Amino acid sequence: MSVVREPDTTTTALPPPRSETGAVGWMRANLFSSWYNTALTVVVGAVAALVAWYGLSWLLIDADFSVIATLGGLLLIGQYNTEVGCPGQNCFWRPQFILLMVSTLLGMAWVVAGGGLTKRIAITVPVVVALFAFLPYGLDRMGWDVRLLLLANLPALLLGWALGRYTLLGTWRTVAILSVGGFLLALVLLRGIPGVPGLQPVSVLHWGGLMLNLLLAVAGIVVSFPIGIALALGRRSNLPVVKLLCVVFIEVFRGVPLITLLFMSQVLVPLAFPENFPLNSLLRAAIIITLFSAAYMAENIRGGLQALHPGQAEAARALGLPGWQTTMLISLPQAIRNVIPAIVGQFIALFKDTSLVYIIGMLDIVELSRKFATTYVENGMLPYLDNVRELFIFLALVFWIFTYGMSYISGRIERHMGVGER
Amino acid sequence: MLNTNTTLPRALTYQGIPIWRHAQVIQWTAQIASGFLVVFLVAWFFFNIANAIEDREIPYGFSFLERAYQTPIGQHFLPYETSDTFLYAFGVAAVNTIVVSIVGVILATALGIFVGVARLSGNWLVAKLALGYIEFFRNVPLLIQLYFWFYIVLALPPVREGYVIADLVYVNNAGISIPFPFSDGLAAALVWLAAALAGVVGGKALHQRLTEREIDTGQASYPLVWGVTVAVVVGALAWLLISFVGGGAPLVVSEPAPQGTFGRISGGFTMSGGLLALLIGLVMYTSSFIAEIVRAGIQSVNRGQIEAARALGLSPMGTLRQVTFPQALRVIIPPLISQFLNLTKNSSLAGAIGFADLTNVAKTMTQTAPAISIFILIMAAYLAMSLTYSLIGNLYNRRLRIASR
Repeated sequence: MSVVREPDTTTTALPPPRSETGAVGWMRANLFSSWYNTALTVVVGAVAALVAWYGLSWLLIDADFSVIATLGGLLLIGQYNTEVGCPGQNCFWRPQFILLMVSTLLGMAWVVAGGGLTKRIAITVPVVVALFAFLPYGLDRMGWDVRLLLLANLPALLLGWALGRYTLLGTWRTVAILSVGGFLLALVLLRGIPGVPGLQPVSVLHWGGLMLNLLLAVAGIVVSFPIGIALALGRRSNLPVVKLLCVVFIEVFRGVPLITLLFMSQVLVPLAFPENFPLNSLLRAAIIITLFSAAYMAENIRGGLQALHPGQAEAARALGLPGWQTTMLISLPQAIRNVIPAIVGQFIALFKDTSLVYIIGMLDIVELSRKFATTYVENGMLPYLDNVRELFIFLALVFWIFTYGMSYISGRIERHMGVGER
Repeated sequence: MLNTNTTLPRALTYQGIPIWRHAQVIQWTAQIASGFLVVFLVAWFFFNIANAIEDREIPYGFSFLERAYQTPIGQHFLPYETSDTFLYAFGVAAVNTIVVSIVGVILATALGIFVGVARLSGNWLVAKLALGYIEFFRNVPLLIQLYFWFYIVLALPPVREGYVIADLVYVNNAGISIPFPFSDGLAAALVWLAAALAGVVGGKALHQRLTEREIDTGQASYPLVWGVTVAVVVGALAWLLISFVGGGAPLVVSEPAPQGTFGRISGGFTMSGGLLALLIGLVMYTSSFIAEIVRAGIQSVNRGQIEAARALGLSPMGTLRQVTFPQALRVIIPPLISQFLNLTKNSSLAGAIGFADLTNVAKTMTQTAPAISIFILIMAAYLAMSLTYSLIGNLYNRRLRIASR
C-alpha cells in the first residue's frame, strides 16, 4: 500500500464520486434513475432495438430502391422533358438554368449576410446539386451536357459571390429584386416563348415532379405572406365593412379542406370567368393554394398582434407616429417576430399541401410516383407492389429533408432574433 | 389651421381639415371602395356563371337530390343501395367523414397525449424516441403516409391465405375483420343504449353526490361502489327487460368467418384497406401535432406548482394527473380543437386511397349532377362541421375559464 496523500479538505472540495460523472453518471441520471425508469429503459430499448434491427435489415438487404432509378428524372421534373411535354428537343437545360440562377443568388446572399447560416446554406445547396452529376445512372435523357450543367452550379455560386463582393449588387435590396425578377424569368423560361428556337412552349400540364412542388411552394409562400398580413390587419381594423369582408374570407377558406377547394377550382372557377379568360389549371391551383395559406397566415399574424402589449402602439402614437407607421414600424415587426414558429409552420404546411394537386390531375412528385408505379406494375416492369413501399419511403425522405430544413432555419432565426428573451 | 382654411375651397375640407388628410373621410372612402370592389367582383362572377349556364346549357338547381344516385359507395356506415337518392348518398358520405373524424380524433388525442408526455420524460431514451416520432410524422405530407399504409395493406396476402388471430380477427389484403356488436332490431338496440347511458349518467351523479357528502360529513359513503353498481344494475335490468319483451338480446356480437369457396369474410366488421390506411395515417400524422401541443401546454405550467405538489408528497404520476395536466389543459384546448378540425378536413384525402368520404363522393357526383349545387352543399357541410368544433371549443374554454381564478 502506498501512502495516500491527504487532500487539503480545508480549501478544496472533494471531486464528485466516479459514479456521478462521465458516461456512467449520465446514464444513471438519464436512463436508470429509479427502478421504474430502469424498467422503462430496458423495455423501450428492447422494442426499439428490435424495430431498428428488422427495419435496418429490410432497408439494407431486402429493400430494392431501383424503382427510383427507373423513374429517374421524372421524379425531378415530371413529364417536362419527355416526348409528350417537349417533343423533339432537349428541354432539361431550362430547369437546370433556373438552378444556376438560384446558385448565383445564393452566392450573393452569402456575401450580403456575411457568413453564418446563410453561408452554410449557400454552400450546401449548390454542392449537393453538383453532386447529382456523379450519379451512376442517367437521369432522364441525362447526357454529358446535363452533367456539365449540374457541375456548373459551383462556378455559378462563385460568380454570385464575386458579383456580391466586387460590384455594387451586394445589398439586400438588389438580392431581393433579383430574386423576384429571377422567379418571373424562371416562369417565362419554363413556359417557353412561341417562335423562339430552343424555347418551344411547354404546356403547364406537363410541368411536374419535385419542380412543380417547389414552384407552387415558393410562389405560395412569397405571395401568401403579404396577403395574410393584409387580412390580419383588416380583421383587426375598426372599419366594419373591411373587417366583415376579412372575417368571411378567412373563415370560409379555413373551414373547407384545401382538396375540396382545389377540386372546385377546376369545376367552378372556369365558369366564373368569361370563356377564353387566360387562367390555366396550374395558375388556378396556385391561386387557391396561396389564398388558402393566406387565410391561415392571417390567423397566425393576428395571434401575434393580439399578444402584443397595447403599450407598444400607445407609445408609438404618443411619439407622434401616424397610424400606418405605428403598424408597419412598431406593431407588425414585433408581432411577426413573436409568431415566427407558427409562420414557418404554415410555410411547411403549404409545402406539404402542394402534394394535393393530384386532385386536378397535375403530376407532382407524389402523384407521378403513384401513377407511374402502378403503370409499371400493370405493364410488368415492376413486380407487383413490391417496390412501391421503397418509393414512398424515398418520397417521405425527400419531403422530410425540405421541411426539417425549414424548421431548422426557423429555429436559428428565432434564436438570432432573441424570441422569448427580449 | 386657419391658413389651410383660407387657401382651400370649403368643399375640399371637412371639419377644417383637407379631406385627403381627414382620418374619418379616408377610412370611410376605403371601406366604401373595398365594399364596392368586392360587390362588383361577386356580381361579375355571378354574371359570368349565369351566362355560362345559359350559353353552355350547364345544369343547376337542387332537383337532382331526389333522383337515384345509382353509383356504388365503397365502405359505408349507413345502409346504402344504389337506388337511394343523391340526398341520402350525400348523407351516407357525410356520416363516413364524421365517423372517421370522431374515431380519428379519439385515437389521435390518446396517442398524442402519450407521445407528448413521453417527450418530456426524464428518461433520455423515451424522450428521444418521442422526439423522433414527432419530427418524422409531422414533416412528411399526409398523402405520402396514406399511400404508404395503403400499399402495405394491399401487399398483405389475399383473403384465403390471410392471417387469422384466434379465429376472431382476420387480416388480409381486403382489410381487417373484427367481431362487432350488431342488432337485428335497431329500435331495441337504441332503447337499450339509451337506458345504459341513463344508468351511467345516474351513477355518475350519485358518485358526485356521495363524494360531496363524504367530504361534508366525514362519513364513509363508498361513492365509487354505489356509482358503478347503479350503472351496471340499470344496464343489466334494461338488457333483461328488452330481451324478455322483444324476444331477443338487443345486441349480439357478430364474429367474422370465412364463407364459400373464395373464403370471403362475412359477419363482424370489416375495415377496408382504404379506411384502415386512412385511420392509421390520420392518427399518426395528427398525433404528432397534438404531442407538440401537449408538450407546450405542460411546459407552460409554472414550475412552482410541480415542486409544491412533489413537496406535498404526490407521486410523479399523481402530480402529472392532478396538478400539471388540469392546468395545462387551459393552454392545450384551443390549439387541440383546431387540430381536431384539421383532422376532419384532412380526412378529405381519403379519395386518394379509395375511401368514399364527403369530398370523394361529391367529386363523383359532379359527373352526373350540377357542380354548382354540389359545391354549395359541400361548403355548407364542412362549414357546419367546423362551426360545431368551434362551438365545442368555446363552450369548453368558457367552463375552464370560470373554474380558474
